[in-house]
Amino acid sequence: MRKSSFDELSERLTRRLAGYSSRRGFIARLGMALAAAPLFPLLPVARASAAEPPKTDFERNAQVKDETKCSYWKYCGSDGVLCSCCGGGSHTCPPGAEPSPISWIGTCVNPEDKRSYVIAYRDCCGKPVCTAGKSCWCDGTDRDLPTYRSSLNNDIIWCFGNASATYHCSTAALVGLAG
Amino acid sequence: MARTRWVDVFAQLQWAPLVAVAFGMVLAADLKSEPVKSLRPVQGDYLLNCGGCHGFNGVSNAKLVPSLKDLVGYYLRTPEGRAYLPRLPNVAFSTLSDQKLAAVLNYVVFEIGGNSAPVGAKPYDAAEVGRWRKQPLNEVVLSQYRLQLVENLISQHQAPAELRVYGEDPLGN
Repeated sequence: MRKSSFDELSERLTRRLAGYSSRRGFIARLGMALAAAPLFPLLPVARASAAEPPKTDFERNAQVKDETKCSYWKYCGSDGVLCSCCGGGSHTCPPGAEPSPISWIGTCVNPEDKRSYVIAYRDCCGKPVCTAGKSCWCDGTDRDLPTYRSSLNNDIIWCFGNASATYHCSTAALVGLAG
Repeated sequence: MARTRWVDVFAQLQWAPLVAVAFGMVLAADLKSEPVKSLRPVQGDYLLNCGGCHGFNGVSNAKLVPSLKDLVGYYLRTPEGRAYLPRLPNVAFSTLSDQKLAAVLNYVVFEIGGNSAPVGAKPYDAAEVGRWRKQPLNEVVLSQYRLQLVENLISQHQAPAELRVYGEDPLGN
């Protein structure tokens, strides 16, 4: 029976491959590839570690696990008592308090991917100040400017756009990845 | 022979584990983080310099901070209105360069402003912004100056009455 040209082609290809490769060669090359792979910073993880070193004390100590600690990464410019200690979340107000429509906006570096994210520091208003423990009172000052640059100042109580300007607690909402 | 052929197929696949590992890592990195909006540089500049008060999308408490969304482009219907935006104190005194400030103004007017800018309006460039920001509106009664512009835009240039909202009692008492 006449061989089909497809059969011939695949036979030629496999024979050629067989001539140039060996099982041990495969193992050697796999080993080399595994050893050499870390040298190529192609993966996002590798790129992240090559990013800029931390610039501030806050960035050096920032963590991503516990939203009720001042060192949580999004609080790098947060001044006040954390809503996450008061029945709310890192970006949600506790029941009965309403978010301010205006805020100041800064950036924080996420220690996991070392990238800068735009963060809106929103106060929750309309209830007396939350009485949480000392460890929930934070004063992150990354990218905070003096009061004469009021739109970038963390001392301002941002409740002045609300029906009640009474300050209850502070949140930090993730707006997006800085471009 | 059959055996050799399988080895060859295997040999062809020698890079597969690596590809799989790499793909797995990319996938894991993606799944771990929540979906976060990636911002263009001009959006970042807008947010960091304007968005806190004017809102992420140009809407805030309109009585306290003028709404930009679908409105701000009306100012480009008169020469004074066009100059007004870069002469506003917090625009003129921004720490951004003329170039970046022009980009932010264009983003605000033509993107956040939607269709409010007149058809064919010229975008701001660095030179124009640089000129106007050296003449900031800090020696006028700003609310009156604004109201004059706005009344003219409403009566002569088909701007909606919504432009007037700013300056009313912010808490509506």
